[in-house]
Amino acid sequence: MPEALPKDELVTFLIRRLAALTRQNETEIGLETSLLDIGLQSIDAVLLCGEVEDAFQVEIDPALIFDHDTLGSFALAVKELMAA
Amino acid sequence: MTTWYLGLATSGHDPALAIVDETGQVVYAEATERFLQDKRAWGISPDHPPHLERALKICGASPETDTFIVGTTWKAMKAQMDVKIHDAMLPALDTLWMRGLNGSLQAMAGHSLLRLGVTPDRQRLLRHEHHLCHAVTAAWFAPLSDALVLVLDGEGDVGAVSAYALEDRALKRLWRSWGPGSLGTFYGWLTFRCGFDWRLGEEWKVMGLAAYGRVIPHLRAALQTLLTVKDGRLLFAAADRIAEVQQMASTYARTISEPPMQAADLAATGQAAYAALADAVIGDLLAQQEGPGPFDLLLCGGCALNSSYNGAVANRLGLRSLHVPPCPADDGNAIGAALLSWMQDRRVPTIPASPDCTPFLGMEAGLSGRDLRPHVRGFEVKDVSGNTAAAVAEALAQGRVVGTFRGRAEFGPRALGNRSILADPARAGMKDHINAIIKGREAYRPFAPVLRARDTADWFTSAEASPYMSKTLFWRQERQDQVQAVVHADGTGRAQTVTPEMYPWMHDLLDETERRTGQAVLLNTSFNIMGKPIIDTVEDALAVLSTTGLDTVLAGDLLISKPFG
Repeated sequence: MPEALPKDELVTFLIRRLAALTRQNETEIGLETSLLDIGLQSIDAVLLCGEVEDAFQVEIDPALIFDHDTLGSFALAVKELMAA
Repeated sequence: MTTWYLGLATSGHDPALAIVDETGQVVYAEATERFLQDKRAWGISPDHPPHLERALKICGASPETDTFIVGTTWKAMKAQMDVKIHDAMLPALDTLWMRGLNGSLQAMAGHSLLRLGVTPDRQRLLRHEHHLCHAVTAAWFAPLSDALVLVLDGEGDVGAVSAYALEDRALKRLWRSWGPGSLGTFYGWLTFRCGFDWRLGEEWKVMGLAAYGRVIPHLRAALQTLLTVKDGRLLFAAADRIAEVQQMASTYARTISEPPMQAADLAATGQAAYAALADAVIGDLLAQQEGPGPFDLLLCGGCALNSSYNGAVANRLGLRSLHVPPCPADDGNAIGAALLSWMQDRRVPTIPASPDCTPFLGMEAGLSGRDLRPHVRGFEVKDVSGNTAAAVAEALAQGRVVGTFRGRAEFGPRALGNRSILADPARAGMKDHINAIIKGREAYRPFAPVLRARDTADWFTSAEASPYMSKTLFWRQERQDQVQAVVHADGTGRAQTVTPEMYPWMHDLLDETERRTGQAVLLNTSFNIMGKPIIDTVEDALAVLSTTGLDTVLAGDLLISKPFG
């Protein structure tokens, strides 16, 4: 479950980048934050995938982020890829 | 029962098919546009049934008994992704249109096998990453085991640039660029603003025109800000900055009804900006490497068709060598998809290497099994079996313009000699003559030379190998008058350098030409008329002979000529 995710390097990275891309305060963003509601543009979502791929050396499918509604759900999917 | 690996280029433009056999060898590759005689064959499936049927028959494949592993050249289904289309450079309508074509070709890839009798249990579909296909195609043609590989493209599964390392013939991705930010898109925009149409593949015209213009420094600096390069990755500037630069460029732009020369400065400046940005990408890639270099680089993707850029980059950036495959754009990806399918199915991690680097992978020139002689009335027909190079050299030395339809067709956009129009470039007015009476194209566009590789340094200021006509080199000043029909306005020529190992017939032809005229350089342009693809059949060849000012056609072993006078 996303709730069980520790606030590790990946989650911290996603919060920081999501805040920057949507011009929000990092404290406003958590695992339950809806990527759509917070105003993440589709192009920025693609760019975020690229940043994750570069920073965590994991191959991301470009459609992955669009399959997930919340930051936590996306983070979990990335973790699964990293573990695979 | 045999298994075949069928690569299908499913971009939506420039469809093509390639076939790899069980040993991992590319046995056939051909663009759909040749078969259909429809330039770029937009939206046509790369497994168009009669084309696929012909290719399978030539390869000796049996649709009734054999198995087919089909590979596409895209992994993602872009049309299905809910990403807002970036429309600051090119109209969103074009992108939407292309995504639709790509989506339908991806969905239907291999479907035509059913029509040819391949039952569903004997076919399997694999989807491959677009840039990986480019890289594998480049590796197939590269005579190296280790190199850096850069894909500079219009777009890709996630972005328009990917970098790989080829190590012991295995490819490892180093990084890829995500999101909008594309030198291909930049050049498409430039093509439009110069009054041409990238959808018609008219980027060539911009490159040709650039030689006549002067680079405007402040505009070049502004154009370079359209894209940022960060660690090799490209990203377009914000929409308001793009609009500002486009406004600045509009002063130098041209509409289609205005004379081409009006856009020469924009073409030159855009080409210079392109070169600076591409240099920055390659520079970043080189800087990321741990070893001291120098490095060998395989350059591919649609941008690798920019021969003006390719000719200078190795020297400028200190590369040991630069290799561009004969088919760096999306048609060429069919080879990568077929090879990747073979590698995946056979669990082979390394990319097979072409035994001879030959680009001649298409259909053998045939006379449709017919005796043409009674039907080509009004022409002189000579059987020149065993003597074709000498016969063509003789006609060329007499000032005749000769079309060749011989051997297997080249794969890729360049005619390299087997489907070419050849002429003696020393003759005054030959360029205008060919433009006026055969090709029907604009006077400012250059024609390319073919020469023996061993002579390259005698004619050009560098001795780079350019076996697939992918590099523009500088002619030596003192020799330009000897080959004036193939010297462009800026003193360059897009050279094809020939070795006897890779292309013995052309090497013989150049030897025979030297015996007659004293110099072994020929003009080599594609055998087509403007707006049409390169010829596919003997009927196409004879149609050009009959309806243009072409003098002679070598059709297999027959030399078919209009009477002198």
